[in-house]
Amino acid sequence: MAGAKENIDRDTIEQVEQIDVEKYKYGFATDIKSDKSPIGLSEDIVRFISAKKNEPEWMLKWRLDAYERWLTMKEPNWAKLNYPKIDLNEIYFYAAPKSTPGPKSLDEVDPELLETYKKLGIPLLEQAVLAGVEGAKIAVDAVFDSVSVVTTFREELAKSGIIFCSISEAIKEHPELIKKYLATVVPVTDNYYSTLNCAVFTDGSFVYIPKGVRCPMELSTYFRINEINTGQFERTLIIAEEDSYVSYLEGCTAPMRDENQLHAAVVELVAHKNAEIKYSTVQNWYPGNKEGKGGIYNFVTKRGDCRGDNSKISWTQVETGSAITWKYPSCILRGDGSRGEFYSIAISNNYQQIDSGTKMIHLGKNTSSKVISKGIAAGFSDNTYRGLISAHKKATNARNFTQCDSLLIGDKCGAHTVPYIEAKNASVVFEHEATTSKISDEQLFYCQQRGLNAEEAVALIVNGFVRDVIQNLPMEFMVETQKLINISLEGSVG
Amino acid sequence: MIGKLNQSEQVLLETLQKTGADELAADFAKTGLPTRRNEAYHYSDLKMLLGDVPDLTTGAISTSVPLLNIEGAYRILIVNGEVQISDEPPTGVIVSTSRGGVVEPENDIVAQLNSALTKETLNIDLQGTVETIIHIDRRYEGEASHINDGVELYILDGSNATIIESFSGSNEAHLSNSASKVILGRDAKVTHIMVDLSGGRVRHLQSVQYEINESALLHSLIIHKGSALARTQLFAKFIGENAHADFAGLILGAKEQHSDISINIEHNVANTTSSENYKSVVLDKAKAIFQGKILVARDAQKTDAAMKHQGLMLSDDAQILVKPELEIYADDVICGHGATCGQIDMDSLFYLMSRGIEKEQAKSMLIRAFLAELFDEIKIEALKEALISVADEWLEV
Repeated sequence: MAGAKENIDRDTIEQVEQIDVEKYKYGFATDIKSDKSPIGLSEDIVRFISAKKNEPEWMLKWRLDAYERWLTMKEPNWAKLNYPKIDLNEIYFYAAPKSTPGPKSLDEVDPELLETYKKLGIPLLEQAVLAGVEGAKIAVDAVFDSVSVVTTFREELAKSGIIFCSISEAIKEHPELIKKYLATVVPVTDNYYSTLNCAVFTDGSFVYIPKGVRCPMELSTYFRINEINTGQFERTLIIAEEDSYVSYLEGCTAPMRDENQLHAAVVELVAHKNAEIKYSTVQNWYPGNKEGKGGIYNFVTKRGDCRGDNSKISWTQVETGSAITWKYPSCILRGDGSRGEFYSIAISNNYQQIDSGTKMIHLGKNTSSKVISKGIAAGFSDNTYRGLISAHKKATNARNFTQCDSLLIGDKCGAHTVPYIEAKNASVVFEHEATTSKISDEQLFYCQQRGLNAEEAVALIVNGFVRDVIQNLPMEFMVETQKLINISLEGSVG
Repeated sequence: MIGKLNQSEQVLLETLQKTGADELAADFAKTGLPTRRNEAYHYSDLKMLLGDVPDLTTGAISTSVPLLNIEGAYRILIVNGEVQISDEPPTGVIVSTSRGGVVEPENDIVAQLNSALTKETLNIDLQGTVETIIHIDRRYEGEASHINDGVELYILDGSNATIIESFSGSNEAHLSNSASKVILGRDAKVTHIMVDLSGGRVRHLQSVQYEINESALLHSLIIHKGSALARTQLFAKFIGENAHADFAGLILGAKEQHSDISINIEHNVANTTSSENYKSVVLDKAKAIFQGKILVARDAQKTDAAMKHQGLMLSDDAQILVKPELEIYADDVICGHGATCGQIDMDSLFYLMSRGIEKEQAKSMLIRAFLAELFDEIKIEALKEALISVADEWLEV
């Protein structure tokens, strides 16, 4: 216990020291030869990707159908975002690291890759520390530029009957599950980006928790976009059978780049009767430089389906990176008595633009949902919360509580709130609250008078502002998040 | 992509062409009526909801019994778009008419249609402390027709006035498109109330525009009770510092009514404050919609705005759809919004019933209590009573 704490403290101190030197801590690129598809998008590219992944015929057909549909679709423009049109013909849709045939252990993994992970601080080799903290282990399904390179702890998980593997593996080895669940939460034709993802997704994670199993460890995937100009199209599918529980962690960092990179992931969660899924994300992709040049375009479709009675899905997200964020993790509360939760921290600085929020769709009886969103805008950024709370006619006794607070730092940024509230039966109880304010001069003065400089004072106050959400993060994310907040708000004061 | 025009759009287009509004007609041919893709009409898809557009009105005819009587008020009638001034106006009130429409379009097709099709606008200038309540009685009478009318109120610097506009008439399938523009001079103090009591077959569209100058004080209240389809869109702009405005509204919805209040409040200058307080009560299959948008411009520091919508649902087939929006570009502001939605509190009902009060009576007591707050702000007793009786009549039906 004590060892872990020391480690974290030291880490924090180092972090603070590094702030002045390193503007973007994770801005570096690893040079590994990668196996690329030809540039641009066409039916041939879809075939190329499918062939590269050795996919069965039905999967290729599924992709091609999606591609056909996508051709008829239009890019959505309702979000409060401004960006130059993305030229899909300038993007590589597939890039795999040079393949080392099936690494058996960490020793066999490309040392350069391990070095990258080390810089990122991925706890592949830090199990001891983490075990000391929670008595839990973390299984890492590390994704490096679209292909799962190493999967640890799979055997241990397999003992409990849990399947945790890359989605391309699952397509080959568990086609019955894929056929049964893929695109049942986010339909193939859901939206422009999700349909594009169906056609060209390269990899992602697949998790299956059997009936009555409580996953013995937190599952974690680290995504990383590494190759110049490769759009990353991840696809994640998590299925929790009756009475099961799983907590899934997703953390993202990316190297510094000048070109805008496109990311359009799809995440689907299915919770059966009495099952619970907890999905946590820390997103820290390259946000572009101070002038707003470069940065990741992040268009993500995340949706959870509480299919069974009394099931629960909880989303927690910390969004500090990306030039453009377009992301609405949602819950479909289909089962009676099911619950949905959404906790979010969205921080934008410089020229970042965030349009994020959630949808809670109450379909079953006695369903409840809770939304806590904390938006912080600094610099020249725009930060929008956009959410939908809806209760259908049969969703009697549906209950929602929403709180979205915005904090403005500086007078060149904007904070916006666009909630949609739809009550379609009388027994619904919905409450919605939103506030927008700035850090008060009194608070700042008080902290500075106690010897903190302006930047430290802001970080302290902001950390207090987002507390409600941070508390819902797993331990190791909590620490990382506090650091991230400090880094993200750098240069926003004075 | 806009599909081809439907029947009602076709009729509107022809109407525009006949009146010589060529430019607007050309635009309208391209855009048609707003659909849910237009964010301001997200819950009121006019293309689908509007229905048959009757012929343009041929002018004033005999009027029905007034639905709203306010003791001691100075009344001006506007019947099917024609202004009828019979009595001598009280001191400080200058009444005149002008040709054409009144509201600036704001890029809104409903307001643009009104401006293009209104023939005569009632202009009232108010100066000094006007004790008499001004009642503008807007009527849509006779056979079903398409009526456009406009009112412009100018409250001069340092003046006080209370104005109520009521909308009523024959219970035919009218399409009424009305507009009001209210300009508040410096230090003006104004209460402006609009009550829609139209018949159950009427489609009533309304645009209200406020310009609020320095140190002015506005109290605005909108009540929707009548019409099959009622939509009020309110555009308010703060253009002088230290002004304050209270915006309030009430939707009483029953049967298959579709009732929409959409407000756009722009704080464009520093040191202005506003409160927005709206309530909806719905019965049967009624649908109540509230869309509120507060915009705080870059320079509007020290803005304080608080928006609230409370919904009370009395039937499982009713719907309340709410979108309270904040768009904020200044940092030194306090802005908030709250929205609640629920049914009558069972504990309160139980309490009243345990005291021997019949269930129905207990319910109506609780609804009255829910609404009371909106009327408490009205200081003139005669006016307050008239409005409470509007709500009471609704509760009894």
